[in-house]
Amino acid sequence: MRFARALLPLALLVACSSEPRPRPPGVLFVSVEQQSAWVRNFNPLFAGAGARWPTRAGVYECMEIFSSAQGKWVPWLATGHAWSEDQLTLRFNVRDGVLWSDGKPFTADDVVYTFGLLKQHPALDAGGVWRFLTDVKTEGKGTVAFTFSRVYLPGFSDLAHQIIVPQHVWKDVADPVTFTNPEPVATGPFTQVTLFRNQVYELGRNPHYWQPGKPAVSALRFLAFPTNDQANMALVEGEVDWAGNFVPAVDRTFVSRDPAHHARWFPLYGSTVFLYPNTTRPPLDDVRVRKALSMALDRDRLVEVAMYGYTRPADATALNDAYTGWKDAEVAKDTWTHYDLAAANKLLDEAGLTRGTDGMRRLKDGQPFALDLEVVSGWSDWVRAGQVVGRDLRKLGIGVTLKTYEFGTWFTRLQKGEFQLAISWSLDGPTPYNFYKWLLSPRTVRPVGEVAAANWHRMGDAQADELLVRFERAGTPEEQHALMSQVQQRFSATAPAIPLFPNPSWGESNSSRFTGFPTEQNPYARLAPHAEPDSLLVLTQLSPRER
Amino acid sequence: MGRYILRRMGFYLIAAWASLTLNFVIPRLAPGDPAAAMFARFEGKVAPEAMGALKAAFGFTDAPLYAQYFTYLKHLVQGDLGMSYAYFPARVTEVIGTGLMWTVALAGVAVIISFVLGSFLGVLAAWNRGGWLDSGLAPALAFLGAFPYFWLAMLALYLFGFVLGWFPLRHAYGHDMEPGLSFAFAADVARHAVLPASSIVVATLGGWMLGMRNTMVATLGTDSIRLAHARGLPPRQVMLRYAARNALLPNVTSFGMAVGFVLSGSLLTEIVFSYPGTGYLLILAVRNQDYPLMQGLFLVITLAVLAANFAVDLICLWLDPRTRAHA
Repeated sequence: MRFARALLPLALLVACSSEPRPRPPGVLFVSVEQQSAWVRNFNPLFAGAGARWPTRAGVYECMEIFSSAQGKWVPWLATGHAWSEDQLTLRFNVRDGVLWSDGKPFTADDVVYTFGLLKQHPALDAGGVWRFLTDVKTEGKGTVAFTFSRVYLPGFSDLAHQIIVPQHVWKDVADPVTFTNPEPVATGPFTQVTLFRNQVYELGRNPHYWQPGKPAVSALRFLAFPTNDQANMALVEGEVDWAGNFVPAVDRTFVSRDPAHHARWFPLYGSTVFLYPNTTRPPLDDVRVRKALSMALDRDRLVEVAMYGYTRPADATALNDAYTGWKDAEVAKDTWTHYDLAAANKLLDEAGLTRGTDGMRRLKDGQPFALDLEVVSGWSDWVRAGQVVGRDLRKLGIGVTLKTYEFGTWFTRLQKGEFQLAISWSLDGPTPYNFYKWLLSPRTVRPVGEVAAANWHRMGDAQADELLVRFERAGTPEEQHALMSQVQQRFSATAPAIPLFPNPSWGESNSSRFTGFPTEQNPYARLAPHAEPDSLLVLTQLSPRER
Repeated sequence: MGRYILRRMGFYLIAAWASLTLNFVIPRLAPGDPAAAMFARFEGKVAPEAMGALKAAFGFTDAPLYAQYFTYLKHLVQGDLGMSYAYFPARVTEVIGTGLMWTVALAGVAVIISFVLGSFLGVLAAWNRGGWLDSGLAPALAFLGAFPYFWLAMLALYLFGFVLGWFPLRHAYGHDMEPGLSFAFAADVARHAVLPASSIVVATLGGWMLGMRNTMVATLGTDSIRLAHARGLPPRQVMLRYAARNALLPNVTSFGMAVGFVLSGSLLTEIVFSYPGTGYLLILAVRNQDYPLMQGLFLVITLAVLAANFAVDLICLWLDPRTRAHA
């Protein structure tokens, strides 16, 4: 008892000093990664590295930045680029007067050196650029020339977005793949690690940043929040200035607490969420069956129930809002993504999947038509989506069992084609080229049992592929758009996968201490900090509010 | 006695080897391909062509199991736990190092407080059987202990952190504090530890108290206690030196096991209070099929449990003269 009496005053003593501490002015608090403790790693080259978030989004930089919100390329470490007449050589003009954070000049040699590293260490070549390149060399002082092995215009984005590292530092690195780069030397706005502890770290300004007067923010600070709940609580409490979290009922829980400063912008620039049917399993190889499944889905309810109404139903092009300029209006009107139970039933009847006396449909061999739908356990939005999909499909007389797996198991089954139905994302890029290639090209189809990076539904369409190959060589915007329209027609005709909704790109800002966040009215970049390298545009635009 | 201790040490060495081997085997029996799982984390940001290169970089091998086993043992002896997949290219030792100290400090202190306080309360409850401690506090603590820990911790966080604002909502120390051997820092750490530590204590106190009370009641009914009373010894001496010392044995044994839960079981505490410990690392390792990190954490937990049990053996030796007689 004596012990308990001794404890009480101690507890009161420590409790008394708990008023919130003032935060240092000019220090931007960011919440992007959810981790229980920080590990010091700033390796920008190896995509598989658990590098801290700003490594590829504020510490290091690339030559040009694609702003999907503006739909255009913004010159960055390069002032511009030009293709040769035969489209086999691409030349970037390297910006003059850029310094590394240690004061040494950034040159075209650094660019050539970086691409050399990718060739030497294939693990670093995340974009696979050396599949289509034969040579990279400097021409004069400020030009880098990339020689292509074949005409492949979509390769531009892989080259422009490649992070560039300093030759004078990395030439002494023994293994660039396993290098944790604890003291980064870079060209970005924030390069100085001023604080690094297990639950907090801070990045200070690059003393030699090439954009005069920028950044206006004096430092970035990152607190470790192991769960979404903790990160959201900090955001709601005003402890975080910029975040990219999924916040349930965001308008009520966050924005309405301080409408003048709290803002969220969830543009539909994330990847498209699909219901993937395994087309190697009859009757899912029948386009009529796939379209019937699609028409049984009440997507309006689906986005309301599963996604809090943050998104809209997908149309027959499956394109998200980042590709608005590419969308073919005629294809978008196709009805196989519209809710129509009667038409869905008719399609299934035509496909020979008749209803038994119990109201359940039978396969041609008399077996009941039953499918397993696989989602990741704990991904609550997709689990809810799976429940809605299952209920809707049961109305067609199809038995659906929702199965949840741990992420690793789920993804292995998806990649190996060992599933029947699954909900998953899509592969994206600056143009819809990658998106459709991974949905439709026979070049991306792998046999069941072999790991496929996408095209998990395992379907290819030769006609679409021919159009995609022509797109690789299409020089003019008119030609590109015409080809992409035809690809969309092929997608809508073959329905290889069932689009559900475009994923929002989560972004929240608290402008009580900083101004200049992108908004729907001022969409100079995506608000989501995950949208690398868009975040470079944001970080150089923000400024502390005068008090 | 020396031979007894040597024999126990031999037993613990074999136990350590067996658990290391299980540690190697179990993750490899789990379904799924770690390379695929790791690749999945990029959600399409990495070209599929890089996958083969990734596998090479992570050193995924198709070598026969026995060869992998010997490599594993060899590296273990060298103190090399390999590279974490989830935190690649950080070393496992470095990753575990970010949290180990905090977990040991928080959960260790909480378990010791809970054990000491609970056992002491149990002694008092049994001594004054039917008193308010026995009929009031003991059932109340058992009631609290029956709640799911997660819920209890969330409630404490909400009430004392969010609503009343007495304690910080997260982390082990304020993010503007300079860690060091200063009074201000120690006070800050203590302030951050109050809620998580007391939630562990509240959740486990009842168990210690009841366990102690029940054995104590049985001990108080034995002839030796009656004899001690008859000899006219002071009641306090009878209570502590005669009864409590004997009744403590079962509780000490459970304490050895509780230490294991200190390292693995504080997972929920760490999630609720964003405490930068190892529990959360463990679940991340499992999710990412991060074998090296899992093995590293299991190794630490195994060794801690074995060490704690060895310590318990020694304490029992001191507490219970019978063990000494047989040794």
